[in-house]
Order: sequence, then C-alpha cells, then structure tokens
Amino acid sequence: MARYFFDTSDGNKLMRDEVGIELDDLERVRAEAIDALPDIARDKLPDGNDRVFSVQARDREGRVVFTATLAFKGEWGVPPP
Amino acid sequence: MFEHLLSVLDRRDHVSDAERSLIEQLPRRMRSFTNGEELVAEGSRPTESCLVTTGFTARAQFLPDGKRQLTALHVPGDFVDLHAFLLKLMDHSVVSIGRCQAAFIPHASILALVDTVPHIGRLFWLSTVIDAAVQRTWITSLGRRSPSRHIAYLLCELYMRLEVLGLVRDGSFEFPATQTDIADMVGLSLVHVNRTIQELRASGFVVWRNSLITIHDIDRLRDYAEFDPTYLNLIKEPR
Repeated sequence: MARYFFDTSDGNKLMRDEVGIELDDLERVRAEAIDALPDIARDKLPDGNDRVFSVQARDREGRVVFTATLAFKGEWGVPPP
Repeated sequence: MFEHLLSVLDRRDHVSDAERSLIEQLPRRMRSFTNGEELVAEGSRPTESCLVTTGFTARAQFLPDGKRQLTALHVPGDFVDLHAFLLKLMDHSVVSIGRCQAAFIPHASILALVDTVPHIGRLFWLSTVIDAAVQRTWITSLGRRSPSRHIAYLLCELYMRLEVLGLVRDGSFEFPATQTDIADMVGLSLVHVNRTIQELRASGFVVWRNSLITIHDIDRLRDYAEFDPTYLNLIKEPR
C-alpha cells in the first residue's frame, strides 16, 4: 500500500491532488487514472471542440508513475450555426 | 431509542400517543457496528427488521470483479430492510458507514403490530415507498446529472434528512463516509470524486473536513444542484 496523487486536467484547468489515494499496487494506479477520464470528459463536454483530458499519477517522491490521456475533437461538416 | 423513527413518522402524519407507545414497546436487540461491517447479508432471509438508531448505513451491491455500488443511504430512524419483511430474501447487503448502532426487531412483532394497528402498517409501508422515491431520484442523478451537481444533490438530500432529525447544527453535520463510499454512491471514479469535491470546496459550497460537513449557504447549494425536495415527501398528511 502506498499513497499516490492524481493531478487532473480538463483541458482548461489543472487540479493538483493534495490528498492522494492509498493503493495496493501499480496496476490499481493505472486503473484509477484511466477510470477517471470518461468522468472528467462527461463532466466538461460538450464545452469546446478540441480538448485533451488527462490524469497524471505521482508517487510520494513526486515521480510520475502513469499518465492517462483522452483527446476529444469535434468538427463541423457544414457552416456552424 | 426510537425517537428518530417517531420524529420522522410524525413529520409525515399524525402519530397518536397510543401508536407512539406501541412502537416504543417493540422488542429489540441492539447491536453496534464498525465502519464497513455488514448489518444484513445479501442472500440472507432476515427474521428481524433492522432500524438505524445512530450513524449511517448503506445498501450495497457488488459485481463479480469486486466493484461496489451503494444504492441507498440510511440515517437514524430509517429501517434498512423493511422491504425484506415482504420480500423474504435480501437482494443486497447493508453495510455500516462509519460506526453505527441499530435495533433489530423480530418480524413477528412487526406483524403483530401492523395487524393490530393498520395505520402503523401504512406508515411502515410509506417508509418503503419513500425509499423507492429516493431511489428514483438517485437513478436520475446517476443517469443524467453532471458529477458536480450529483454530489451537490446528495449533500442537499443528506442535509435535509438530517435537519428533520435535529442533527444539523449551524449548517454542520457529521458524515463519516470516505471518498470511496461517495464514489460508490454516485457511480464515479474515486479520482473524479476527489476532484469534484475539491471544486465544490473551492467554490465555497461546502467545507468538508474529516467527517464534518458544513454548508454555510444551503439555499445557494440547492440552487446550484437544482434541488427539488418533493421526493423526500416531507408533508404532513393522513396516510
């Protein structure tokens, strides 16, 4: 068990995790980071047409253990309203 | 012991002194539970109805891979499994959120009481029906509310349910749920719940320190959440 910190970006605002989560192993760290992406995207979309959502997991020493990124791109096929 | 149950019944209908007395006299076995401990097991056939007297419990269902969804939250005065009196078989478990105390009342005593006083039977029926109304609102939140409004809605609901019991003081109440518990209630990832709560804090909607939640401006939070308390049925009418 170790504490990991998950900094998240919704393409606009970066939020630093000051509290962290106790997790069993690196597989869980990866799972938690990826699990958050659809939630962040769902929360912020349909704002904008070009956004990158990301979650970066750091360990206690500040090392980046895993980064998960989800890119959204929207394009009009006709003149936009 | 049953003062929270009685106050919540009385909030929704007139409870006579005789009825009050009969409820107070229900036989019960008291038990205390630690955080995460199971009060009622999934798959079990309860012979008693369990009533929360202090603290909080939640209904839980698990997927084979270990994922958990909490499908309801109970506050003092709530029966956690009154529906099992009729259903006979539990399709979910009930776990303690933080420490709690509960009273276990024999089904036979509940049956005797509701057979003798149909009005009390209807009030118990009402409580299961309100559980269902809360469930409907939770479904809407799970399906359609933004994560931020969903958590805000949950806080508004909790505030109102605890206020009825006199458990909110100066906008503050104790709520020992972990962020994992919250994540399992709102069906979101732990990381996003952390982030969302941080944002709610930063916007001044809530102060959340360990188990103490403070909402200085409940009307502002209600506006933000677009909270409609109709489903909590806090109206006093003959049932």
